[in-house]
Amino acid sequence: MTLGDGVKAAALLFVAAVAQVSIFSQAQVFGAVPDVLLVTLVALSLLRGSVVGAVGGFFAGLVVDTASLGTLGLTSLVLTLAGYWIGRYGETTGRDRAHAPFLSVAVVTVLYQVGLLVVHFVLGESAPGGAVMRSLIPAVVLNLILTGPIYAVVRRLLRPTNRDELTAEVQLLG
Amino acid sequence: MLASSVQRSKPTPYPSKARSALIRRAVVVGLVIVALALVTVSFRSPTAGALHSVQGAGSTALRPFQIAATRIAQPFRDAYEYVHGLANAKAENKRLREQNRKLRARNVHTVALAALEPSLARLLHFEHGRTFPHDFRPINAAVITPPGSPYTHSLTIDAGSSAGVRLNSPVVNGPALVGIVSNVFPDTAVVRLLTDDNTYVAAFDPRTRVRGMVHTGPGGTLILDQVKKELRVNEGDVLVTAGTHSARYPDLYPYGIPIGRVSSVGATDTATFLQVQVQPYANLSSLDAVAVLVPKKPR
Repeated sequence: MTLGDGVKAAALLFVAAVAQVSIFSQAQVFGAVPDVLLVTLVALSLLRGSVVGAVGGFFAGLVVDTASLGTLGLTSLVLTLAGYWIGRYGETTGRDRAHAPFLSVAVVTVLYQVGLLVVHFVLGESAPGGAVMRSLIPAVVLNLILTGPIYAVVRRLLRPTNRDELTAEVQLLG
Repeated sequence: MLASSVQRSKPTPYPSKARSALIRRAVVVGLVIVALALVTVSFRSPTAGALHSVQGAGSTALRPFQIAATRIAQPFRDAYEYVHGLANAKAENKRLREQNRKLRARNVHTVALAALEPSLARLLHFEHGRTFPHDFRPINAAVITPPGSPYTHSLTIDAGSSAGVRLNSPVVNGPALVGIVSNVFPDTAVVRLLTDDNTYVAAFDPRTRVRGMVHTGPGGTLILDQVKKELRVNEGDVLVTAGTHSARYPDLYPYGIPIGRVSSVGATDTATFLQVQVQPYANLSSLDAVAVLVPKKPR
C-alpha cells in the first residue's frame, strides 16, 4: 500500500465516521440506522486486506467514540475485528467476486450488531436484545443498499492491487 | 463448483509468507489489546482523568467537522421532511383534528380542576412554560449528538462547564423533563436521558397526591414504581418531579417539572406495588434544543 493510498483510505474513513455520527445516526428506518462507516470499512478491507482493515477499523472507531463521547475503545474493538475478518476474506477468496462486498456487508452487519450487543452486555450497560434483533433485517437491507455506490467510490479511489500480490486462493476440496 | 480447478498465484518462499502472517496477527492482536485497555480505562473513570481530557479535546476538535456535515445534510433533510410532510399531510390532518378535539375536552376539564386546586393551577402555569423554578437558571443548548441507537440513552449538548453547566443538573425540553447532566466537558456535556437504566426520578401525582419513583422498567418502558396498591393513580394523570422534602437531602430535580402522563395502571395479586406505565412528555429520540437548569446557589 502506497502513502497516497494510505492518505486516501484515512480520509475516506474519517469522512465516513463523521458522516455516521452527525448525519446517518439520526436517519432511523424501521428502527435501524444505515451504517455508512461499516460499509466503507468493508469495501476498504476487501480491496486492501486485513492489516489495513484492522488499523482502519481501530482508528475509525476511535473517531466515532470521541465524537459521540461514548466509552472510548468500544467501537474500535468491534470495528478492528470486523476489518480484519473481512480483509482476510478478501485476501483469500472474496476479492475478485462480484457478490463479495454484498455478502461481506450482510454478514458483518449481523456480526457487528451482535458484537456490540455482547460488549454492552459484558460492560453491564443497556443491551436491548429484542430491539437489536428486530432491527437486524432492516439494518442489513439499508447497508446492502449503500454497498453498491460506496464500494464503487472506494474502488475508484483505491484501485485493486496487482493480482500477483494476492494470497493464493483457498481450495476447499482436493 | 467447489471441486473446480482454481488458479494459484506465483509460489512465494515459505519464510516470507510466515513472516507476513506473523506481522498481520501481531497487528490485530496489538490493536485489540489497545482497544480493550481503552475500554477498561474509559469505563473505570468515565468522568475524570487524562483519557477523559483527551477525549474532550478530541471531541472539541471534531465539532467543526460535525457541524459542517450537519449543514451539508440539512438541505437534503429539509427536502425529505417536506416530501414526507406532503405525503402524510392528509392522514396527519385527520389525526390532528381528533387530537385537537380531545385536547379541547381535556382543557375544559383541566381548567375546572385548576379553579378548585391552586397547586394544580401552578402546575398548569408551569406546563405552559411561563415560569421556571425560581432558584434555578436555564442554560439553553443545542443537541449536537442525539441518541443514535437502541443502546444509547444519552445525548450530547453544545454547552459545557465554560457556559456554567454542572454535573447532575436537570435538563428540560420546554416544560418537560429530559434527563440529567452525567458528564461535563469544557464546551460540551452529556445528558443521561430518562430512559437510561441508571436514571431515577422522584415523582409526584398532583391530582391524587401519590408519590413514587420514575425509572425504566422491564422491556425498556418508563414506569412509576414504589406506589402501594391501596393508593390510587389514574390513567392520564400528570406526573411531575417531587422536589426536595428534607433540606438535609436535597433532590437533584426542582419540584413541578412535568415528567409524563400515566398511560396504564395495573395491579396483580402477587406484586407489592401498582404497575404504572408512564409516557414521557419529551420526545427523547428527536430533540433539537434543551435547557439545563442550574441551581443559583451552589449545593
